[in-house]
Amino acid sequence: MTDMTAETPAMPWYANRFWRGLYNGLPAIALSAAVLVVWEAVIRLFKVPTFVLPAPTAIVESLIANARPLAFAAQATALEVLFGFVLSAIVGVAVALVIVRFERFGRALYPLIVLFQNVPKVALAPIFILWFGYDLSPKILLIVVIAFFPVAIDMLAGLQSVEPSFVSLMRSVGASKSKIMLRVRIPHSLPHLMAGLKVAITFSVIGAIVGEFAGANQGLGYMIQFASTQLDTPLIFAALLVVSVLGLAFYYVVEYAERVLVPWAPKFDPIHSAG
Amino acid sequence: MTVVAMNVAAVKPVEPAAMASAAAPAHIAARNLAVDFTVQGRRQRVLSDINIAVPKGSFVSLIGPSGCGKSTLLKVMAGLVAPSEGEMRVAGLSPQQAVKARLIGLVFQEATLLPWKNAIENAAFLLMTADETMKRGEAFDRAAKMLKMVGLEGAEKKMPSQLSGGMRQRVAIARALALDPEVLLMDEPFGALDAITREEMSECLLDIWERTNKTIVLVTHSIDEAVLLSREVHVMGTGPARIIETLPITVPHPRNEASYSDPAFTAAEKRLRSLLIESHRRGRK
Repeated sequence: MTDMTAETPAMPWYANRFWRGLYNGLPAIALSAAVLVVWEAVIRLFKVPTFVLPAPTAIVESLIANARPLAFAAQATALEVLFGFVLSAIVGVAVALVIVRFERFGRALYPLIVLFQNVPKVALAPIFILWFGYDLSPKILLIVVIAFFPVAIDMLAGLQSVEPSFVSLMRSVGASKSKIMLRVRIPHSLPHLMAGLKVAITFSVIGAIVGEFAGANQGLGYMIQFASTQLDTPLIFAALLVVSVLGLAFYYVVEYAERVLVPWAPKFDPIHSAG
Repeated sequence: MTVVAMNVAAVKPVEPAAMASAAAPAHIAARNLAVDFTVQGRRQRVLSDINIAVPKGSFVSLIGPSGCGKSTLLKVMAGLVAPSEGEMRVAGLSPQQAVKARLIGLVFQEATLLPWKNAIENAAFLLMTADETMKRGEAFDRAAKMLKMVGLEGAEKKMPSQLSGGMRQRVAIARALALDPEVLLMDEPFGALDAITREEMSECLLDIWERTNKTIVLVTHSIDEAVLLSREVHVMGTGPARIIETLPITVPHPRNEASYSDPAFTAAEKRLRSLLIESHRRGRK
């Protein structure tokens, strides 16, 4: 038998991770660059006023000029997102557990939650401001009412999709309902929970911005609104860019957590996850 | 000598198993057992008039067309379904008591391994659930022994997703054996495996049975499997679901590949096939 590990054959340059990544990312990079170039060209050629649509360079200029206030605003928004998201996760998981564990109560609760989900949450923002004022709490509350639902629904699906034979096995050694819940149902539902959390984190960012629109004295949403009263469109776009990057960062943190916490979760395998 | 005795029994099918059960009390016994299910508000009899006596240390198969209630009968033995009439006794206890006394091990068609646990953790899982006081090390030792018995030595650390279907099923068997139950109840354990893997698993199971001397009840669709493995095959029919015949299998032990060409094997196989075809036909009427 030949020893494969002794001598690693020289890899061709295109097998290198960096070059492969660049090669795979090339179409996306090229398209983005093209869009930016066309955008810039159109603004300059047709002399579009900056307050209508700023050129990419103007947005970047504004971003640099307002770096400090944007950073402060991002910090405020990030805090709301973080608290709101964590609370949404807790509420969502609790709701799912209560519905499964207390079947009768769950049957009463579930339709109410679905009904509540159909209330336009954005319309609740002014009420929360009215109740709690301008500080952190109304934003967090708004995030929770928007973001707990996907968590609850996915967790519920996970808890209930345990194969009956698992339950039979546990019962065959005399395991109680709560033991089955703790040892089988809850761990089994974790991949589903993570899917729900990924939706919830994007909802949380939306909730924070909406909450700030409704009434705030800091945060990116507040900054966007303030900039719009000043017709400072480049700043609006700069703030939007920061919001997007913030959202993306949060999303990838959750996705990373998923990979670490539930490595057995099926990945892009609809057949597997359906079974 | 025993071979001769068994061949005599083959000619005159008054079963040695029945004689054994008359001598010793049956390990698993059903008397006038019936099970009703309520399906959409209508009561339905899914098993009727079941009388079964499985001697201790025997290997018995339940075979029959789909919907003949063979899985339900197994579930009654496992205490998962309560009988509507009659009674089931496992080692002289009710199935629920037998469960409490950890006398029962279960294996299903799907391996049902926990995907977040590796092979040995899965094999030890039920044992640790059944006995909270057992130390992790002790449970793992037993699980490791059982994994070795089912031929999975060296695969202890593998995750279920890294195991083939046959290997996953071996883990499931090891998990049941780790409980050290007196009775092993198996519901089409090899049903989802390919033909070659099935044969391998059959041999593995025969080996386990010979070494551990557990009472095994196997639900299967496969005539070959039933004949190769069992001392006794209960043929079940539909409408109403019941046992239509109990056939002793007199193929001499130890059984292996050569057993397939044994005259007792072919005779039993032929008899089972005609019984199944007949019951299948009647079921369709």
